[in-house]
Amino acid sequence: MTPPVLATREVGKRFYDNVVLRGVGIEIRPGRVHALLGENGAGKSTLINLLSGVLQPDAGAILVDGQERRGLTPAEARRLGIAVVQQELSLAPHLSVAENIALGAMPRRGGFIDYGQLAHGAGQLCARLGLDVPLDLPVERLPLGQRQLIEIAKALWRRPRVLILDEPTSSLSAHEVRTLFGLVRALRATGVAVLYISHRLNEVLELCDWVTVLKDGVVTADQSLEGSDPKALVRLMVGREAGDLFPPRGTGGEGKLALAAHGLVGESLRGLDLELRYGEVLGLGGLLGQGQEETLRALYGDLPLRGGEIRVDGRTRRAASPGRSADAGIAYVPADRKREALLLPLPIRYNLVLPALRRLATHGLRRRVREAITAASLIREFAIKANDPRDAAQLLSGGNQQKIAIARWLPLSPRVLLLNDPTRGVDVETKREIYARLRRMADDGAAVLLLSSDTLELVHLCDRVAVQRDGRIVAELDRGRLSEEAIVRASLGMAA
Amino acid sequence: MSGLELQLRLLWRRNAGLWSLFTLLAALLVVYAWLHPGLLSIAGVARFTQTWFPVALVALAQTLIMLAGGIDLSIGAMVSLGCVLAATLVGETATAAGLGIAAVVAIGATIGATTGAIVALLRLPAIIVTLAGSFLIAGAALLVMPRPGGSMPDWLSDALAGDRPTALAMLILLLIAWRVLQATPLGHAINAAGDNPQGAFRSGVDVPLARIATYALSGALASFAGVYVAAQTGAGDPVIGMPLTLDSITAAVLGGVGFLGGQGTLRGAIAGSLLLVILINVMFFLGFPPVAQYVAKGLIIVAAMAVRLLRAG
Repeated sequence: MTPPVLATREVGKRFYDNVVLRGVGIEIRPGRVHALLGENGAGKSTLINLLSGVLQPDAGAILVDGQERRGLTPAEARRLGIAVVQQELSLAPHLSVAENIALGAMPRRGGFIDYGQLAHGAGQLCARLGLDVPLDLPVERLPLGQRQLIEIAKALWRRPRVLILDEPTSSLSAHEVRTLFGLVRALRATGVAVLYISHRLNEVLELCDWVTVLKDGVVTADQSLEGSDPKALVRLMVGREAGDLFPPRGTGGEGKLALAAHGLVGESLRGLDLELRYGEVLGLGGLLGQGQEETLRALYGDLPLRGGEIRVDGRTRRAASPGRSADAGIAYVPADRKREALLLPLPIRYNLVLPALRRLATHGLRRRVREAITAASLIREFAIKANDPRDAAQLLSGGNQQKIAIARWLPLSPRVLLLNDPTRGVDVETKREIYARLRRMADDGAAVLLLSSDTLELVHLCDRVAVQRDGRIVAELDRGRLSEEAIVRASLGMAA
Repeated sequence: MSGLELQLRLLWRRNAGLWSLFTLLAALLVVYAWLHPGLLSIAGVARFTQTWFPVALVALAQTLIMLAGGIDLSIGAMVSLGCVLAATLVGETATAAGLGIAAVVAIGATIGATTGAIVALLRLPAIIVTLAGSFLIAGAALLVMPRPGGSMPDWLSDALAGDRPTALAMLILLLIAWRVLQATPLGHAINAAGDNPQGAFRSGVDVPLARIATYALSGALASFAGVYVAAQTGAGDPVIGMPLTLDSITAAVLGGVGFLGGQGTLRGAIAGSLLLVILINVMFFLGFPPVAQYVAKGLIIVAAMAVRLLRAG
């Protein structure tokens, strides 16, 4: 076997009292696609940051070509041929596509930027990734999926020997994913070492040769993927039988109409009709960027509409704003929990009671004790893993932060819950808890609208699925017709 | 796409937001020339650019720093320090004068680099570091020269601030220098550092170095503005630069430099400073009281933001 190009030896890392990695060893070899699996909070991101020089280990060593590298910096890691595609985008929004691709590694000639080489190289990479955009376009104008591809192009620009992909497909369409897989296979054939992090097990099984599983900062498995099945992988991650990820569906009949949208026209919406009933979990699927997020925002009153009407409990809604919606019992859980939902530096407790502050107060004054009790019961109910509710929310792992983003609406006992991809980048165990929670809320009579990029989730959790394409609902699949195939076909615009 | 085409397209995009500013400037210049026909001669242009030049220099200094995501509140104090140092160090002969000016600019660059290192390496907020710096530098200026005094060689005053348009020539040189900087990896690093510091750092861009470079360049520009002011007045004055701090921010904002970094162009900042100076001159000729100048400055900033909002909306 070829020797590893990048490896760790017994590395450990802690943040204050929080031990994130303990004695972790991983060997990344040329010509192999190596999967790194683990729940959120298992230490995957930290390991990547150590491998790419963003963080320094407290113990152990990082080895490049068998040689120990102390004080590795991102610039040095790049120079050694280690390229990372981060989950959080690292693009400069106002700079152009070409400038972003070559960021930090501008081609030069006599001290100046070599624009000829830049245009040629960047153009070639875009073509390989199936990306048809002008090179001079500022990246802020591109949709998320294409920005993700630029991020990948940026990593490839330096002809890396090690390519680390952290959840690269989370915002890509099915077609873009296929192109990416083709590219990764081509890189593998030329001897590039690939480290692939994903929560999508079927992708891992399809693409990867080897797997390392992290659990609570320790390696629990390091083995070939040949002959593995998804259930076995889940077992390795959670350390116990996977069981059923999804709760049984409710048996109740059709509830009353909660929200009804007719002919909505606005940003990315072209005559959208949608009906949401109490007691159901309605899935909203489709390819990425077909206006699903805008649908949720429109229903929440956060999107100016040029046409159509929205009826709440049968009455036409005139003036709409997020504040009014919240008062009317409509809750919205945004996709970007870090930016749109949580106040990261503030205590977990405060984050949990934020939407309900007014309801918990008396005579306009906050009641600290009541807030603390409410927060404590939410932490218990959602099994949020917090040492102390007074800790800052940023100390929690992504999955636990997501639980807060949902839990904080509960004290308002919302009748309608709009969720924007709540399980994106969340570990399996948290997913299971969120699914159970959503089902329970629907059973209790709430109307749940779940926008999801995960087809499995749509098929197994939802009572009905509406598939959106080009600003319209193109298919509504009830329980009898619900299948992954049906959803994908409808997403692609094929007859159901 | 060829390299040249890419370069031209990028240039076009960076300037796309500035056409309205350029148009407004042209209109104001016409008004000004009509009010003050003396402008339309070499001496007229020379004198006008002389009043404009220090403001343009500090606008450049501020723009550089803002592009990399910082701010500098010590620019005015640095001009004062440059001014008193020039009146002390610049000698009578050409060699002595050249060495003196070089020394002043080097001191400015060093102080700027130190400020930049504190901001970039210790990760302290630029607004507070440079606020503290402004008092320290202003104190140093008063230490060098407690009251206005010293002298500049007459021939130097005449060459820099006489009837020849030296200031205009220097501005054009600066614009060319900027163009050159933009074509280097450092210039690109400055933009990226302001646009997405973390992303740029993770991509291997030396963000601290880019930041320190902007502060050093800015210190050099501001202290040279001090030299120029000394040449204009023929003497040193330890508090002469004070109003220039806010003028530099105003001009940079008018020129479209975003407060969050990464956007904006140097010609925008120069145009912004020009707008500021012409407006003040025009109001002076129209007989407005000095109060009106302050009100006008405030209103222009509000208007500039409104224009940007309207365009974005």
